[in-house]
Amino acid sequence: MNLLDIRNLSIELKTANGTILAVDRVSLSMKEGEVRGLVGESGSGKSLLAQAIVGVLDERWTVHADRFHWRGEDLLRHSAEERKRIISKDVAMIFQEPMSCLDPTTTIGSQLEEAIDNNQFSGNFWQKRKQRKLAAAKLLHKVGIKHHEVCVKSYPHQLTEALCQRVMIAMALARRPILLIADEPTAAMEATNQGQIFRLLASLNQLKNMSILLISHDLENVTHWTNTITVMYSGQFVEGGTTRQIFTQPYHPYTQALLDSSPKANMQLPKKSRLAALPGSIPILQHLPIGCRLGPRCPRAQQACVHAPKVKNHHGHLVSCHFSLKGGN
Amino acid sequence: MIIFTLRRLNLLLFTVLLLTLLSFSLSYLFPGDALINLSGEINATPAQLAILSDEYRHQENIFMQYWAYLSHVFSGDLGISMASHLPIIEEIKILLPATIELSLAALLLAMFVGVPIGFIAAIKHEKLADNIILTVAMFGYSIPVFWLGLLAILVFSIQLGWLPSAGQISLLYEIKHVTGFQIIDILLSDSAYKWQAFQNATAHMILPTVVVALAPATIFVRLARTAMLEVLDKSYIRAAKAKGLSFGQIIYHHAIRNAMVKVIRDVGLQFANLVTIAMVTEVIFSWPGIGRWLIESIYQRDYTAIQSGLLMLSSFIFLVHIITDFIYAALNPLARESNHGA
Ligand SMILES: Nc1ncnc2c1ncn2[C@@H]1O[C@H](COP(=O)(O)OP(=O)(O)O)[C@@H](O)[C@H]1O
Ligand SMILES: [Mg+2]
Repeated sequence: MNLLDIRNLSIELKTANGTILAVDRVSLSMKEGEVRGLVGESGSGKSLLAQAIVGVLDERWTVHADRFHWRGEDLLRHSAEERKRIISKDVAMIFQEPMSCLDPTTTIGSQLEEAIDNNQFSGNFWQKRKQRKLAAAKLLHKVGIKHHEVCVKSYPHQLTEALCQRVMIAMALARRPILLIADEPTAAMEATNQGQIFRLLASLNQLKNMSILLISHDLENVTHWTNTITVMYSGQFVEGGTTRQIFTQPYHPYTQALLDSSPKANMQLPKKSRLAALPGSIPILQHLPIGCRLGPRCPRAQQACVHAPKVKNHHGHLVSCHFSLKGGN
Repeated sequence: MIIFTLRRLNLLLFTVLLLTLLSFSLSYLFPGDALINLSGEINATPAQLAILSDEYRHQENIFMQYWAYLSHVFSGDLGISMASHLPIIEEIKILLPATIELSLAALLLAMFVGVPIGFIAAIKHEKLADNIILTVAMFGYSIPVFWLGLLAILVFSIQLGWLPSAGQISLLYEIKHVTGFQIIDILLSDSAYKWQAFQNATAHMILPTVVVALAPATIFVRLARTAMLEVLDKSYIRAAKAKGLSFGQIIYHHAIRNAMVKVIRDVGLQFANLVTIAMVTEVIFSWPGIGRWLIESIYQRDYTAIQSGLLMLSSFIFLVHIITDFIYAALNPLARESNHGA
């Protein structure tokens, strides 16, 4: 059974000039214990999708979906508040830019403590306080922070970005989530720190059977850590399948371009030559192309691309393209 | 924190120097003889003038004159009033506390009323409550103090007779002058009518305080609203929501504190504005403060008083500015760091 099953989720932004379809009918499903990568250039709507799932978008955005099941329960039948309550019990999210997600005027310790559920503790006020502190220290140990005494007394700006990320993960773990959504957990980090964070997430996945939705703009960066991958472009679903399928035989020109533009795929190139990449850049929300939004940048685009393609399923390898790289259609 | 403190003290020293420089140059800019303007001795005989000239080193160059003036100021000699012939420092000692009492009471009132209302407006952003609050704030801000003061006297003192309209306390009560702050002096006194005196003094304070506080309160409403809106849009609020905290928890534990930090930073600036309003209000309510005294001095062309009064008043405003900076630093860990504490 799927842990999370989302069909055709759309997110609209209300502006003075009408509504903009920022995310256009994207489907996503997660199995228990699965690590899924959600990949796409910056501005593809990955963060929006993640925030829509945990229900923290503000009222300027409206979210629709044909199906939104969580552990077999149809969440669309509930009110938004109820939905958020159910989701936040089992799903934790770590946001992009961890430093900015911590309250700058409150110590790490108290921010961590408030994330811990009160029901775990017993006894009177003082006993609870003590247990709470202990639990916070334990969480910090879990994410590999050894000097928890220093850490709990610090303010966010006194920590490095990587430490803040660990704290964010610790906070996410406080609720013992079944699904962790990690939005660009290693962006702007050195390679050694990136590796440590990924290893930490992988160990949490293996030891606790925690599912992880790993969001990244760098396809190659995450392939090592994921079972399955979903590729998005400009708010539209592009391609989805197992990491192996995506990595060895992409069907979509966009995925192909993402792979081609990664440094590793270009090892054989002479130094300082240009990386292969699609021309142009991702469209801004105010100027979205009709049909397949990749159209203007796509090497294989033809007239049919002004209509959005239907998702085709090739043995679990989903692709949304009229002229996919899968020969013979 | 030590570096932060040193920086603020440095700033204080520098500003006081600048203020004294300004007040010293006023003695030359005002009409009449600079020496007489500085000392206030308008009826001095030639012999006395010679002594004064010696004291203020008026035969030497301008730097020595300034130095002599500084040493006079810091030894507590601000000259004598041209109008009353009393030492100015003695008058200021009596008048300044009254102004401090009025302006601090008004500042606290403006903040305690304005800031929460601003927060509520931000939380109800673009709903009816927000619009009502903004409209009322705009209206309150545009009422002239002078008119408001007179209206308040007309309604609450004359028609309803609820509150006194003039002075700081009824003349019946004799309060020994200890600190100069009326309320503190009353509490310190051992008079049998202490509580009646306290009530009477409080009743006298209500109208002028409210009148002074109105315009700053509306400014605080808007400052607090903007600050809160900014904070509510921050990533850490969204992250706190995802943590599963309730809206109330988020407001109490994270939003208010961060919004307060932004508001406090502007309090120092607003205080200068508030004192200006207080000066006008002192005239309307015959409040025995330094503002009324200064305005009277201007009418009487009492240059010595104007110059020294301005010096004292601006030093006080600046001191409050520094104090709010310290409160800001106490609330905001970022400001305490030496590398951020500019
Ligand atoms: N608060 C916002 N207001 C307006 N536009 C936004 C906002 N947040 C995101 N967007 C727009 O939505 C699109 C998707 O953003 P995002 O989900 O952050 O992309 P990603 O996480 O894939 O980089 C972008 O075009 C971005 O400019
Ligand atoms: Mg993002």
